[in-house]
Amino acid sequence: MNQHEILLKLENVEKRFPGVVALKSISLDVRAGEVLVLLGENGAGKSTLMKILAGEQAPTSGDITIGDRKVSALTPTLATELGIGLVHQELSLIPALSVAENIFLGRLPRNAFGKIDWKKARKEAGHALEALGVSIDPAVEVRSLEVAEQQLIEITRVLARGPRILLLDEPTSALSDSERSRLFDVIRRLKQRGHGIIYISHHLSEIPMIADRVTVLRDGVVVDTLPAEKADENTVIGLMVGRRLEEQFPKEVVPLGEPVLKVAELAAGKTLKDLSFSLRRGEILGIYGLMGAGQAEIAGALFGLQPVRSGAIEVEGRPAHFKHSSDAIAAGLGLISRDRRESLVPMQPVGPNLSLSWLAGRSLFSRLDLARERDEGKRYVSDLRIRPASTSQKLFFFSGGNQQKVILARWMSSGARILIFDEPTRGIDVGAKAEVFAVMSRLVSEGASILMISSELNELIGMTDRVLVMRGGRVSAELPREDVSQQNLLHYAS
Amino acid sequence: MSAKSKPEATGTRGAQIKAIVFQAGPLIALVLLMAYLSFATSNFLTFDNISNVARQSAFVAILAVGQTFVILTGGIDLSVAAIAALAASITAVLLTQPLVLFGIDFGYVPPVVAILIGLLVGVVAGAINGWLISKFKIPDFIATLGTMTAFRGAALLTTDGLPVPSFNAGRQLPETLIWFGGGQIFGVPVSALVALLCAVAGWYVLRYTTLGRAIYAVGGNRAAAHSSGISISRTKIMTYAISGLLAAIAGIILVGRLNSANALMAEGEELRSIASVVIGGTNLFGGEGGVWGSIIGAAIIGVLGNGLNLLDVSPFWQRIAQGVVIVVVVIFDQWRRRSMTRV
Repeated sequence: MNQHEILLKLENVEKRFPGVVALKSISLDVRAGEVLVLLGENGAGKSTLMKILAGEQAPTSGDITIGDRKVSALTPTLATELGIGLVHQELSLIPALSVAENIFLGRLPRNAFGKIDWKKARKEAGHALEALGVSIDPAVEVRSLEVAEQQLIEITRVLARGPRILLLDEPTSALSDSERSRLFDVIRRLKQRGHGIIYISHHLSEIPMIADRVTVLRDGVVVDTLPAEKADENTVIGLMVGRRLEEQFPKEVVPLGEPVLKVAELAAGKTLKDLSFSLRRGEILGIYGLMGAGQAEIAGALFGLQPVRSGAIEVEGRPAHFKHSSDAIAAGLGLISRDRRESLVPMQPVGPNLSLSWLAGRSLFSRLDLARERDEGKRYVSDLRIRPASTSQKLFFFSGGNQQKVILARWMSSGARILIFDEPTRGIDVGAKAEVFAVMSRLVSEGASILMISSELNELIGMTDRVLVMRGGRVSAELPREDVSQQNLLHYAS
Repeated sequence: MSAKSKPEATGTRGAQIKAIVFQAGPLIALVLLMAYLSFATSNFLTFDNISNVARQSAFVAILAVGQTFVILTGGIDLSVAAIAALAASITAVLLTQPLVLFGIDFGYVPPVVAILIGLLVGVVAGAINGWLISKFKIPDFIATLGTMTAFRGAALLTTDGLPVPSFNAGRQLPETLIWFGGGQIFGVPVSALVALLCAVAGWYVLRYTTLGRAIYAVGGNRAAAHSSGISISRTKIMTYAISGLLAAIAGIILVGRLNSANALMAEGEELRSIASVVIGGTNLFGGEGGVWGSIIGAAIIGVLGNGLNLLDVSPFWQRIAQGVVIVVVVIFDQWRRRSMTRV
């Protein structure tokens, strides 16, 4: 077998969405027996590229060559036919079915009478697992397995269709170190058998373990492709972050006051194991972590939206036990949640969305303050330059950035003094981002405090006074403003 | 379509005009239907006939007001007709027979008390629905499907399966109650006025109170309501209690109109109340709509039935026609929603 045979080649692939260019003239190739690691920040275009390769989205222009077949676009069926297999980031197994059923889902072997040949299915599944050096009983239900084992089943399932090219989208995000090395063994075995692998990761430390070549994407462009030996962390981070358009971080230096929120040994959900910090008046405290590091559970736990397993929360010196978000709101907290869809009532205009948090803790029989709602609605629409400048238009018709401003206005109007910004700029454009940052600066200069949970390195560097880096559900480092850098954040996170 | 890929300046004046026309859709349909029937039949547009339609529609209209609240939260109340029958049965029994509890004869309770107990039964029955749904996290549809059967059973126990008042014992129903159900003021049916009053109260609650806003928020986006500090369970329980109260009012009015109560009265009317709400333009998934649409929806159903009678259409065909109207309206509603959110 020719180890340098090119299995997959992209030439000038572009993908445009209305108003956005997601990918610009992407050219790359994958050879037999190599692992190409694809790196890039959130929004760099990695996922779009994967979707194009899996046939889930069609590129706007460009050519894709697989083996000796040149196409302009793939469909999921064609991608499978041509030997591309995608292992999704989210597991797509059916928990209640057995390992064998999952591996052969939709194409279980049948006997001469058209009945499912269970014996054969189990045997073939067993062989497929063995080929990867995995020892899992094909007859057990998937839900009884560990996440890492499920991940391996997922890979087995994709491989059972006989792909030459395997796409792995952040496969280790939910795995422990030992589970990860097991997965890497499997990947190395696939390499030896002549598969080509595209591997997406956030963990730079994995490059020397698994990569042959590294391709870095930034803002939809391939910045560089380099051999793994040359891809040390500093080089790669420099390529990932680049010298981008000066995003404005109107950071204001605010004298810090007394602690307003103290959290001790907080544990919640599946991933948050131990978090302690103290947030001071006027401070923007950042929290950074890679996927699954526990930072995603912080907002819910602090805001009474999900039960706290253990730990103590103190707000302005008083112990707090939030059973419901209304308790947190009464204590002066506000939450800008990660997913705007969880904050907005899309079929209502600005006013009712603004005043929603005023209703917390009020009697259901009390009268609404419609005059105040009207006045504040108008005030915030002009103050935060919300567009369209309409208080009667449903929020459904607003852009993401403007929806986000309405949520900011909600907490400003309700007088929240401790604000949790959970991924505050997700899915909004650069201009709106700058406006959100401006509001953050304004809030802290007016005496509020902000907990900023973010996976965007630049905005943490630009806006925070201090950053807690999380790894494995615990704080792995506390970085004062002068030490908050891409290198440090990524280093302590991975 | 995701909200973020939308240009900002859409949904302006043109869409607003469209929205107004669409909102007036049910009213326009009612007017056209009435205009057609006025020409097609000689006796549709007479004072007596219209007042008769109003009297007959009042029951469903009152149920529909409560049903609107429930559907706005994203729920559905299949038990409204059963609650109406239960409240009606209890009230009628208390009005016509001496109260005997544990072998002790308390004599006749005052009529006002009998009616208040009936209304209280409605509130409690509704609150049970809301409690089951929010406490045990079961789908609204299933919870009220269960209680629908159970409340009918309770009504059968109350009446012993017999019509009330019975022919051979006890009193007759009070005149006042019969006036509420069948009487009129200057020719306007009292029951229709009660329905109107319920609608005004419902409109006020939805528009001006915290509960109203909470109802729209819970139905419009449950997660947003929850994270903004609104208690979903309290909102749900209150909403179903209101639906139960209105069902009880409707049931007691119906006793007055029929001069009788029985445990199986108004069977199937819960579906008409749901149809009224949907025809009236309230989103079956919650968050959008209001009471007035439902009143118009109830009127459309009432006028349609009356018109088909006057046109001498067989009752079998009438059912088919009503079914077709419901489906067509929902198809239209889906199309309307899509076109309003399309950019």
